[in-house]
Amino acid sequence: MGNSKKYILTAITLGVIGAVSAALISLTNLVTRDAIEKNKIDKINKGLAMIYDENSQFSEANSINGETKYLDSYYVASKNDEKIGYVFQTTGSNMYGKISMLVGIDLTYNIGNVYLVVNEQTYAQTLIDNYVNPLNDGSRALEDVSCGATYGAKLVRTMAEEAQSWAKENLK
Amino acid sequence: MSREKGYTKQNFLKGLFIENPLFISVLGTCPALATTKSIEAAIGMGILFTIVLICSNTLISLLRKLIPEEIRTPSYIVVIATFVTIVKMLTNAFLPELYSTLGVFISLIVVNCIVLGRAEAFASKNNVFDSFIDGIGMGVGYTMALCIMAFFREFLGTGGFAFGNIFTFIPYFKLQIIPKGYEISLFTTPVGAFIVFGLILAVMAFYKNRKAEYQAFLQRKERQRKAEEAKAKAAALAAHKPVEEAK
Repeated sequence: MGNSKKYILTAITLGVIGAVSAALISLTNLVTRDAIEKNKIDKINKGLAMIYDENSQFSEANSINGETKYLDSYYVASKNDEKIGYVFQTTGSNMYGKISMLVGIDLTYNIGNVYLVVNEQTYAQTLIDNYVNPLNDGSRALEDVSCGATYGAKLVRTMAEEAQSWAKENLK
Repeated sequence: MSREKGYTKQNFLKGLFIENPLFISVLGTCPALATTKSIEAAIGMGILFTIVLICSNTLISLLRKLIPEEIRTPSYIVVIATFVTIVKMLTNAFLPELYSTLGVFISLIVVNCIVLGRAEAFASKNNVFDSFIDGIGMGVGYTMALCIMAFFREFLGTGGFAFGNIFTFIPYFKLQIIPKGYEISLFTTPVGAFIVFGLILAVMAFYKNRKAEYQAFLQRKERQRKAEEAKAKAAALAAHKPVEEAK
């Protein structure tokens, strides 16, 4: 009887702590939800402008048809009302964390600049410094993933290549 | 009352020097090595860590008599994880640059030994006010330690200090002290972090040893003086003369 009371008390305590925690997190979510969403959109817009240039225009996000592993949606980029390429929004993860990335593909289906919207890799800054930035300034090739953040780089490469092959097949 | 006042000050200061979590207890080294590439990132990490530590210490101290012994650790983890999640969401919403820079290391505050360690060792045994002060002291001590590491790493690795990259509400400025091309970029890498951390610990150990040696020297001198005094006293007694005369 004494033990049952103890178990019930323990369960109730844990339950109360869990419920209060959940309530606090929900409340914070209510307060921060809009700001986080706005930051996300701002970051995507910044990425889109970085992949082509600030004077480019982009369509609304188009959904991806067919089975893909990493692709979420794509934007059509244009300048002076002329189509100049595509930007793919991709999301992937490995044991080192999640990556959400924008990949530029030109009209001849070559991979252009890439921009990391979410980078939760443990070697996040190493990946940016040693792989993504050199990739964007042309000093590194997409295939060369030995950079101190090899698994993150492999993920970036696979996501970019999936975007490229999907564009080749579906955006003729 | 005055003793209480002195205790509060001592309680706060111990986190800064005598029990500094990073340099003395060598706890929380993983984020310390990863987030000290720049002073701004170190300050950001330190502030977030301090907020979590203060809140968790205070709440755990408040609940210490209500939480059964058997579920102490899981309860503490839930409390710490809650505060970390809240801090993470707030940073993501209002300081997105800091959120991107610190990345996964914000979430990893949950498993930081210092937070759980202070909950177990201090907050679960002391009142709310003392736990609050302990949280501030340890948090400020950790932030200070991160900033010291970041100072050397950023200075040697980039040749100067940049502000406004992470805290975008302040205007960007860079102070370049070492001319471009002469900086040692190794210090911005994890290897550099280990080297800086090791050197700081070595300097502290050297200082501590010197202090101990000096204390031992003073004690030896004191013992010698006492022995000489005793000898003089004994000689005076043997000659049936007063000590002053013997001297």
